[in-house]
Amino acid sequence: MSSIKPTGATYWRSLDELSRTPEFAEAVQREFPNDEFDTLPPATRRQFLMVMGASLAMAGLTACRWPKEEIVPFAHRPEFRVPGVPEHFATSMEIGGAALGMLVTSFDGRPIKAEGNELHPDSLGALSAVAQAQVLQLYDPDRSRRLLLRESGQEFVKRWDDFRAIVPAQFAGDGAGIAVLAEASSSSTQAKLREKFLGARPGARWYEYEPLSRDNEREGTRLVFGSAQRVHPELTHAAVVACFDADPLFDHPASLRLAREFAAARDPESGAGARLYAAESTYSLTGVRADDRFAVASNRVPALLAQVAHRMVADHGVDLPAAAAGFAGSVDSAASDAEARFVQALANDLAAHPGYSVILVGPRQAPAVHALAAVLNHALDGVNHTVTYSSVPDPDRPSHFEAIAELAARMGSGEIETLLILGGNPAYNAPGDLGFAELLAKVPTTIHLSLYDDETSQRCTWHLPCAHTLESWGDGAAWDGTVTLRQPLIEPLYGGRSAIEVIALVAGDEPISGRDLVRRSLGQDLPAMSSEVGWRGALRDGVVDGTAWQKTTPKLSPSALAGAVDSLRSVLDTPDPTSDRLELVVMGDAKVLDGRFSNNGWLQELPDAITKVTWDNALLISPATARELGIGDGEVVVVEANGATLELATYVLPGQARNSVCVALGYGRTAAGQVGDGVGVDANPLRTVAAPYVLRGATIRGTGRQYALATTQDHFAIDTIGFNERNHRVENLVREASLDAYLANPDIFHEYDHHPPLISLWKDHEYEGEQWGMAIDLNTCIGCNACVVACQAENNIPVVGREQVLNQREMQWIRLDRYFKTDPDVPIDEIDNAEVVFQPMTCIQCENAPCEQVCPVAATQHTPDGLNAMIYNRCVGTRYCSNNCPVKVRRFNFFNYHKDLADTTKMQFNPEVTVRARGVMEKCTFCVQRIEAVRINARNDNRPIADGEITPACAQTCPTRAITFGNLNDPKSKVSHSREEHRSYATLAELNIRPRTHYLARLRNTAEESGGESHAPSHAEADTHGKESV
Amino acid sequence: MNEDKSNHIFIFPRWTWVLRPGVALGALGGLLYAAVVVTFGFSPVATDVGYEPVQPVPYSHALHVGQLGVDCRYCHSTVEKAAHAAIPPTQTCMNCHAMIRANSEKLIPVFESYATGMPVEWIRVHDLPDYVYFNHSAHVRRGVGCVSCHGRIDTMEVVAQVEPLSMGWCLRCHRNPEPHLRPIEFVTQLDWVPMEDQAILGRRLRETNNINPPTDCNTCHR
Repeated sequence: MSSIKPTGATYWRSLDELSRTPEFAEAVQREFPNDEFDTLPPATRRQFLMVMGASLAMAGLTACRWPKEEIVPFAHRPEFRVPGVPEHFATSMEIGGAALGMLVTSFDGRPIKAEGNELHPDSLGALSAVAQAQVLQLYDPDRSRRLLLRESGQEFVKRWDDFRAIVPAQFAGDGAGIAVLAEASSSSTQAKLREKFLGARPGARWYEYEPLSRDNEREGTRLVFGSAQRVHPELTHAAVVACFDADPLFDHPASLRLAREFAAARDPESGAGARLYAAESTYSLTGVRADDRFAVASNRVPALLAQVAHRMVADHGVDLPAAAAGFAGSVDSAASDAEARFVQALANDLAAHPGYSVILVGPRQAPAVHALAAVLNHALDGVNHTVTYSSVPDPDRPSHFEAIAELAARMGSGEIETLLILGGNPAYNAPGDLGFAELLAKVPTTIHLSLYDDETSQRCTWHLPCAHTLESWGDGAAWDGTVTLRQPLIEPLYGGRSAIEVIALVAGDEPISGRDLVRRSLGQDLPAMSSEVGWRGALRDGVVDGTAWQKTTPKLSPSALAGAVDSLRSVLDTPDPTSDRLELVVMGDAKVLDGRFSNNGWLQELPDAITKVTWDNALLISPATARELGIGDGEVVVVEANGATLELATYVLPGQARNSVCVALGYGRTAAGQVGDGVGVDANPLRTVAAPYVLRGATIRGTGRQYALATTQDHFAIDTIGFNERNHRVENLVREASLDAYLANPDIFHEYDHHPPLISLWKDHEYEGEQWGMAIDLNTCIGCNACVVACQAENNIPVVGREQVLNQREMQWIRLDRYFKTDPDVPIDEIDNAEVVFQPMTCIQCENAPCEQVCPVAATQHTPDGLNAMIYNRCVGTRYCSNNCPVKVRRFNFFNYHKDLADTTKMQFNPEVTVRARGVMEKCTFCVQRIEAVRINARNDNRPIADGEITPACAQTCPTRAITFGNLNDPKSKVSHSREEHRSYATLAELNIRPRTHYLARLRNTAEESGGESHAPSHAEADTHGKESV
Repeated sequence: MNEDKSNHIFIFPRWTWVLRPGVALGALGGLLYAAVVVTFGFSPVATDVGYEPVQPVPYSHALHVGQLGVDCRYCHSTVEKAAHAAIPPTQTCMNCHAMIRANSEKLIPVFESYATGMPVEWIRVHDLPDYVYFNHSAHVRRGVGCVSCHGRIDTMEVVAQVEPLSMGWCLRCHRNPEPHLRPIEFVTQLDWVPMEDQAILGRRLRETNNINPPTDCNTCHR
């Protein structure tokens, strides 16, 4: 057995584990903790006999014949429709004004699964967890089903005609006193309707608000170039990527594309090794991937960037434009040695790779910081190489926070008579200092179009049910401007209408369908769209090729830059946070964003990538700050900032910056629905228009109460022996090395494999045909959780709820293991930065499977194509298999989780996968339904199955293509190739389980180890750039 | 009820001892009877074979297929490309019945469906459990005739189930498909009889068409 620890570091999953608390010891003692029959009432002998007798009698009655079923064929079957054969339609969704292309599977008219549209530039076939969960939202039984009028404390159910009747009176005249508050939209149809609406009503005003806005970036470019630009990072050929509070791999409208590019820039087999630096206050998924991460308060991030600028100019003679020279001199002293080291290393690396380096700044940083990054990217010759610019639509609109503040002021002064709110939920998510919810009462007529009868709708006079994305026609633009279409997959379930239909209605347009609105608008924009062929082709593709905006090469504007330098100075002048005047960072949640997906069970139950918390938000705090303030992990604290308070549990997170605490938005909803109500705590009241993201001068105090966060991080630790064994094996489970060590010794990952000769008690299986296998590349996995939701949607995996997650009964088949790695010599409360490793762990389909050997009823068996099949209808629920599983990937249905689902929610189920009942074990099947579907078609056509023809749901949606699936018996298949890579290894080889899923080891590319030399992909290629690094 | 009865243990009189073998025999017989009832009475052969529900339209396969010679695939058109051999849409009936017997009372549900767009609600005869994933195309494209599972539909006035459609029954053919293989062009010909010995033909077809029916669980259960 290996006990080599070449790094001398320890891996661990939670602080409880690292410090060996009694709670943790108890948790690992039992595989099925809290295993009392908690929801069954105690039964007396008499009740028992009664129930058993009745069930016997009823069983006798029904067993005579299966229940009568009906077959209801179409009266007129649509052309090309084959009952029971799924169809795919290209459509899109829009979040924050960027359209994301989707390909939605429709089964007999029911949309059941959303995947990415390969033709869409921001999707490239992948789809985020949030976008995939749209399908569940469509069928949400809590969605609004009625058009409501609330008057003098009473609710009246109305019809669309009733609303239409009041429109002429409400929207009459020149529009004075009329305001519209809309979500950000890239739809050209909506823009045209808006022009028409405002053209006829010059007095009316249109406001646009997004609680999670990227406007700071836009304003930053205005400071540098004199006009607003859209920033497009291009990572494919980047050698050095520096992120300052930025998360391009996850929290960016084009994150799926950027993640794909980043994976390409890190492919060690092609010699590429882009180096990633991150300075951030809390973990982002980009920060997790960083080779060099520096945890620093968001408030200090601008100073860090200014120091980098200074060092580049002072040490490396990087030329800043004259007008921007002030930037470099802004700050030249580091607060600590660690900071100085980080700054120096980054400055050296950036300066050594002109044309191949890029600096990215996150949306929570002030415009001046974005301006500084733009100037540095310019000076580093990154423009048109690692970053490109294009014009931005509607460049002169006020920023989202200015807009909502102006609207609130006008509402307060009683100027506004009629307010139309299109989507959004401003009563919940407007900055707290506006008091927007109360201001709504001052407007005589408020109309809210919304999917849910939510916080805002309940304070408005009219509530209009909105049609879901998958129910409506629409259009939009990708982040790069590519025209993206949206088509409905199903008629509106609850009589909703889309935003463009409502605008057309209030603008007094003739009654016209959403489809005709979109088609008319696109026909005006693009001549090709006016023909039937062009229109149908665009609908089929979901995008119109070649409609991306022209890339611009903006010139630095000296006059604007002067202002930028002054603005940066004022940013730098703000004092750093201290433990009694903390910085509170408010960020969008990775799952429910600003709360718009709060009522989505898939997303609420999805463990957060870093904290592994489900069904809650928590206050992230660094170990050192928690110690200084005397606050424990999981303790409920009171946070006070800007005169508002909130009470929530802490989560002590190593790697969180000192004196900076972080909380996610999107929780604490009161009118979200059955799923989202009362989950977590609402942080919006603390935000202000002036400081919506980074709140200074916050204080926290402990209450001494503990709150159990439903985290999954310590789950499936088996027992004490298993736990010790796992710790012993972590370095074996997740293997990593530095890029240089790997290039010097490609076999480095196999030096771990020390075990006695592997002899099996069982006869080997003999295989002829296809042999399925999988490879998961830990080097490209970014922990984005997309695969977890894809699997949940594809395989009808139930949502179990917070209580059951606390009981370790979550059901997701893919567990995204997250290990922290720290130096064992550093005390726990001094940990400032922990390296994080992700390992997606699902059934690895052992060749010599321990589960198969213990099943008393042969409900889990090996198939001739090498799958470790799970036969639900045979399972009697002994759970021996789970007990014997070395990677703990089997999930047990402790209850019938589907019993109480609404009929609409059941419409989401994939009919190709059995819905499991109570008492049945389940696990990853490699998406056997997809394998069988392809196999049957291939056999029908008498041809072999092509490589890549079968893609499991997880591999299909992975933005970085970290998961490869295919036939191991075919030496030319992609998965066979990845098996041959030096980085390929099998987990737990010494158990002789011979898994069919192999992992590819992860590589780090830190500057110290490689002496500052980055392995730039572009350097290997012929290029005309002429600025090679030394 | 609470008085102490330990001193009054009830003992059967001695003469009842002669009944003991009878009681034992009865108990054994009862068990046996229960076992037989469960094995045969609850088996698909008893519960499902012969199921012959009354359909909303008295459609006669004997007339349409047996006498008029309509091919199975005229109506069940998806059988070769999909898992389901779809029940035809009302449109298919109207292809002929718009002209033929356009005044028949028996066809009123069909005409109504065609006019209103509401479906005719047929009763499912061959009903597999929901955890079974049977695929028609995989069978008919390899030369398993319709008749093997559905019987002589062309002689049925009302469709009835003739085979048990149980797992054991499926496996019998999956383990030994030869008796049920026929040239693909005769798959829908219900009255087809081989010109040669079925055993020889079956073996030859199995070889030429490379037919190796899988028997692992995942074939039908997912």
